[in-house]
Amino acid sequence: MRNTLGVFSRVRLFIDSRRAIMLPVAIAVLLVLPLIIQSQYILRIMVMIGVYSVLALSLNLVTGYTGQVSLGHAAFYAIGAYTSALLSTKLGLNFFVTAPLAAVFAGICGLMLGLPTLRLTGSYLSITTMGFCEVVRMVLLNWESLTNGPLGIQKIPKPMFFGTPLNLANRGLYYLMLAMVGITAYCIHAIVRSNTGRALTAIRDDELAATMMGVRAMRHKVLAFVVSAFFSGLAGAFYAHMINYIDPNTFTFDTSIVILSIVIMGGMGTMTGPFLGSVLLISFPEILRFMAEYRFVVYGAILVIMMRFRPQGFLGGQQLTSYRLPKHVVRPVSGREN
Amino acid sequence: MDMVLQQIINGLTLGIIYALVAVGYSLVFGILRLINFSHGSVYAFGAHISMLFIGFNFGLVPAITASVVITGLLGVFIDKTGLEPLRKKKSKGISALITTIGISYIIQNLLMIVFGSQTKFFPKLFDYGNFTVAGTVVGIRQIVIFAIALLLLAVLTFVVNHTKVGLAMKAIEQNQKAAHLMGINVNSVITFTFFLGGSSAAIAGTLIAGYYQMVYPVMGFMVGLKAFAAAVLGGIGILYGSIIGGLFIGLSETFAATYLGGSYRDAIAFLILIIVLLFKPSGLFGKKTITKV
Amino acid sequence: MKGKKVLLAFALIGGAVFSSFAGGASDGKEIKIAVAAPMTGDFAEYGIGFKNAVQLMADDWNAKGGLLGKQIKVIVYDDKNNGEEGATVAEKIVSDKGIVAVIGHFASGVCLAAAPKYQESGVPEISPSASHPKYSEVGDYIFRNNTVISIESAAGVNIALNTLQAKNIGILSVKTDWGTSTAGITKKIVADKGGKVVAHEELVDGTVDFAPAISKMQAAGVDCVIVVAMYNVLAPFASQYKAVNPAIKLVGFSNAYSEQLIALAKDSAEGIHFPAAFFHSGDDPQVRKFVDSYKAKYNTTPSSLTAQAYDSAGIIFESIKAVGKADRKALRDYLYKIQYPGVTGMTSFNSIGDAQKVFNTVTIKGGKFVLVK
Repeated sequence: MRNTLGVFSRVRLFIDSRRAIMLPVAIAVLLVLPLIIQSQYILRIMVMIGVYSVLALSLNLVTGYTGQVSLGHAAFYAIGAYTSALLSTKLGLNFFVTAPLAAVFAGICGLMLGLPTLRLTGSYLSITTMGFCEVVRMVLLNWESLTNGPLGIQKIPKPMFFGTPLNLANRGLYYLMLAMVGITAYCIHAIVRSNTGRALTAIRDDELAATMMGVRAMRHKVLAFVVSAFFSGLAGAFYAHMINYIDPNTFTFDTSIVILSIVIMGGMGTMTGPFLGSVLLISFPEILRFMAEYRFVVYGAILVIMMRFRPQGFLGGQQLTSYRLPKHVVRPVSGREN
Repeated sequence: MDMVLQQIINGLTLGIIYALVAVGYSLVFGILRLINFSHGSVYAFGAHISMLFIGFNFGLVPAITASVVITGLLGVFIDKTGLEPLRKKKSKGISALITTIGISYIIQNLLMIVFGSQTKFFPKLFDYGNFTVAGTVVGIRQIVIFAIALLLLAVLTFVVNHTKVGLAMKAIEQNQKAAHLMGINVNSVITFTFFLGGSSAAIAGTLIAGYYQMVYPVMGFMVGLKAFAAAVLGGIGILYGSIIGGLFIGLSETFAATYLGGSYRDAIAFLILIIVLLFKPSGLFGKKTITKV
Repeated sequence: MKGKKVLLAFALIGGAVFSSFAGGASDGKEIKIAVAAPMTGDFAEYGIGFKNAVQLMADDWNAKGGLLGKQIKVIVYDDKNNGEEGATVAEKIVSDKGIVAVIGHFASGVCLAAAPKYQESGVPEISPSASHPKYSEVGDYIFRNNTVISIESAAGVNIALNTLQAKNIGILSVKTDWGTSTAGITKKIVADKGGKVVAHEELVDGTVDFAPAISKMQAAGVDCVIVVAMYNVLAPFASQYKAVNPAIKLVGFSNAYSEQLIALAKDSAEGIHFPAAFFHSGDDPQVRKFVDSYKAKYNTTPSSLTAQAYDSAGIIFESIKAVGKADRKALRDYLYKIQYPGVTGMTSFNSIGDAQKVFNTVTIKGGKFVLVK
């Protein structure tokens, strides 16, 4: 079988089959990196890659694993950012209190959006989420008494860890980002490996068949949506405290498209896909600054080309390694791995 | 009362423009069950090409005709390069939607690069002054736009309902396979539909550019979304539904701008869209379709 | 085997990529200043204007022997009019120790996202266009070479009430940080001076259909509209309003002062009045020279924002010359003291870093900008 695999599949197989060493190695490298790299500019890019990875992971749960294409995830990103910013500037709370609260609120908004709209399928759902994103932006722009409208929220404090502000210079922000990415990846991986995860993939592959097999589609779809909104909100809170200033123009439809491009390019329905996508789509514009004018042409072209030639993304597709049964499942007596 | 009447006139003018763009969405959705997200950028493209040719001093009518043809061909190009390969591969519907989103970004940003992102001047197409009736000011150009749009919509309805091609389109809408078996060249008809969509977008773009006298690359984004809302409201796939939907959205937007404030006008279209999709996804005039398993 | 090769390839590419990021070390032979503004996207025209203006000033100085004996090098960064990008660009700029100062950014939102970085790292920043009221307060390294809205609003109101003798004033404003703040201040000033604001319409920047707003203003009996927006709104608004009421009077703000306004509005631009610190067709020889050389080199007429960028560059170069070294802190200290006779008038910065400007009244007659005495 190995001889018939294409390049991408070989890479995937390589990564997946050596999972046990690859993961600790990758984590070790990431932990040590900021001590080697002196340039704050590069660190900043890595932190942004981290933020977009979280966004992509959360969108991947809804789009890659459950097959519901959401074009409005920038809305939850915005809600998380604004909630955390407002709580910390108006009530003086610390990031470590406001960020989880913001994420929870984003999740609640995900629930409120998901319940009525997840009945819709395919394109209708996507357009509705897009409309929701614009409505959120309008609310942020117009509800001046709460959000300051177009003036945005200024002087959002950096996260305080036992009295020290975490920023790029002391590498605190980087490690905080790693922690956030780690938590998100762990939670989403746990969901994906569980019964719920299998239900989600079943819904993606054929919702009607899944329903007839006893999967409660609506419930699972809403759950995926809420979790996804939660983590997007968390990323938003992090962003707000990192840049210290947000306004309604930060979170537009373009942002949703960037996140979608990352998921599509990296690989839908995989855990490593969002990371690859983020690295590629966030670092390349920096390297190719001279091509800046064409940036959105490139994003558009990525969407078109990927859909045409590799809709599952670079790292997406069928699982190539043997499926490992979860621990508590009784193994078949014959010793055959299934 | 004066104000209400005045805003009704404003709203109807705005609305007929949305209707013209909405028709393009309906045509493509009807035949392919696909929401052609790139329609907005095709509309902007049409306006830019008109501006370009008028700038070359081709004369008004030849310039607009050239723009209509070229934009129609762009529509065909989009189908041939982006969508037809997906149909051949029998990809999921969502792939086509994402492809059209990608195409809209490509077209819009290429317009920015080629023509520059600043707003450009477009010559006034109809300047015949105003007249006042019942205390409201009605611009002659508003009436002219209304008339031209209605004429175009009538032509499109005629094509769809009384020509062989239109019959073929309706047949494909109902059952693509059966139509193919009956000898209809499905791909040709689809190509023709995209051409029609592109040309109507070009006409809409030119009319609006002439009305507001401005052309800019992102002009398709908002209008595209609102026209889409109009198409959905009327029942996507149904031509006269798009017209009614467009007028409704135009009126709602104008009244929202008047009584709620200018910053809310864009949100109204989206709210209507969300409400329609939640409560009656088939729209005002649409019929519920039953999918058999 | 193949896997190892692939890994090696990635490592090499990665190494090459990262080394390309190594910031330019301080070059003894050049003095570098940065320009950060949108070079691509919707507002590229303004960023490119900044770049052109600064380059023009730098070329001028270089032709005369440079600054402190060294050539000036202008390094351009594109912030894509996006706060996140702006902060990234700021990070890049401050890590380059050779850059003495930065002129930028364009949009207030982006300025506010980037300014804390410049303040933190001690890089003087002059923005030719920031309008957010709290911008200069970010820190003592942050300067604004743009009109302070309270002063410009007062000038605009003065034009409306005194020059144009308006009785019922209407305000049209865009919903941006500048638009909202300015509209609020303008309303207050009108009330203070005994005028009446009978209508205030707010809209999203980028609106092209003004019919509802115009109908409302007509119904309220407005005879003069103060338009708090840039030319992309002012031009169509003027056209549409004059189609309904040809006698309406219009007052704009200096950031709408641009050839593009006349190009878009054509005849409808006649009679629009502005308070302007920069007037490009004046008799002032310094202004003439600037406008002519800008036109010769870039084929367009400079707008007031472009002129402010030009002056900002001149201010920085003069200051460095006066201080005698390309040092960020010394430069900052001197910026508070300088009195610079620029193309936008005599410019100096007050204690928070806002420029003080004097305004003339300009109007459009016969398709050209003319000074109103």
